Amino acid sequence: MNGSFPVNGFIEVTAMLMMSAGLVLAMVRLVRGPSLPDRVVALDLITMLGLGMLAVYSMSTERTAYLDVGIVLTLVTFIATISFAYFIEKGTGRGGGN
Amino acid sequence: MIGLLWILLLALAWTAVNGEFTGSQLAVGLVLGTLMTLFVRAPGNDYLRKALVLFGFIGFFLWELVVANLRMARDVLSPRPRFAPGVIAVPLDLKSEGQITAFANLLTLTPGTLSLDISRDLKVLYIHDMYAADAEASREAVKSGFERRIRRLLE
Amino acid sequence: MQAAVTGTLVLVGAGLMLIAAIGVVRMPDLFTRMQATTKAATLGAGLVMLGTAVHFATFSVTTRAVAAVAFVLLTAPIAAHLLGRAAYFLGVPLWEGSVRDELRDRYDWETHILASEVRPESPLAPEHPPLQTPKP
Repeated sequence: MNGSFPVNGFIEVTAMLMMSAGLVLAMVRLVRGPSLPDRVVALDLITMLGLGMLAVYSMSTERTAYLDVGIVLTLVTFIATISFAYFIEKGTGRGGGN
Repeated sequence: MIGLLWILLLALAWTAVNGEFTGSQLAVGLVLGTLMTLFVRAPGNDYLRKALVLFGFIGFFLWELVVANLRMARDVLSPRPRFAPGVIAVPLDLKSEGQITAFANLLTLTPGTLSLDISRDLKVLYIHDMYAADAEASREAVKSGFERRIRRLLE
Repeated sequence: MQAAVTGTLVLVGAGLMLIAAIGVVRMPDLFTRMQATTKAATLGAGLVMLGTAVHFATFSVTTRAVAAVAFVLLTAPIAAHLLGRAAYFLGVPLWEGSVRDELRDRYDWETHILASEVRPESPLAPEHPPLQTPKP
């Protein structure tokens, strides 16, 4: 466990850079839309990236508590996406529920 | 099912005897348990076949997941879009709700397809396909892949 | 050895998530964007979590990582289904390069019930212009 992951090493920095770039791109989609579901998809992706970044950070700091944060993050976002979908469909005025 | 339970019990026993509960010990236990049940096959018990079908299914799923992502990467990174997406209707042979749920969820995770909705009478599944130019071919590919395997596994 | 496995898993996972993000920006419509996130982002996050499991190699971390991966794999398709359905009712258009839409004629736009056969044209479905004739 000690030092088996190159702390501040190439892999960690590269992975973090890739995921940060992904975060920026997801933000672009979040701002541009054009529809509300597009923004929800972007938010979903941001959560996934957050989960990945927390996992990498937990490895470089050797603290497993960050993993729990990531799990809770995905749980909450799933509920959020479901509610978004529910209210988007309700908001179309007709029907709803299935 | 009973047979799978036996394999799991044997694997747990293996880890308990070894005194350390780690993933690799459990994996070794699973392999040994499978081998054990291979040799002590009771007559009239086809759980071994079920276990093999299950392992084949998991392998197939992982392979499809890899293919899905390679294709996705190609679609995303190619300079001009080469896909022809569309929504197609897939008639279902699966009957129970559990099987259909498994089928729909697996489809979403595999190459080019995304389950959108299912008809109220559970007869037709509507999927979004990245390559819908030939609807009949898409339907055939979906049905002969996962649906056939799910039926073999769960019936 | 362990470090190599962890590094590979983390790098491939992060790369897949980056591809998903590029896809979310580059893909032409909502449904193709969802194709990108449900596949690449799901597997990417899963691989990074498996990387942590290999890295820490303890029982508690492994169970948590496996639980997280299972949860992501189970929830992503459900979220995609609900969101895709809601977006369809909202009138989010399919990309003009789409070749067919067999869903449009089968919804009851009043009750949102989906039939297995083609329904008569509904006056309530103006949000979705029918696609141009399918290309051969």
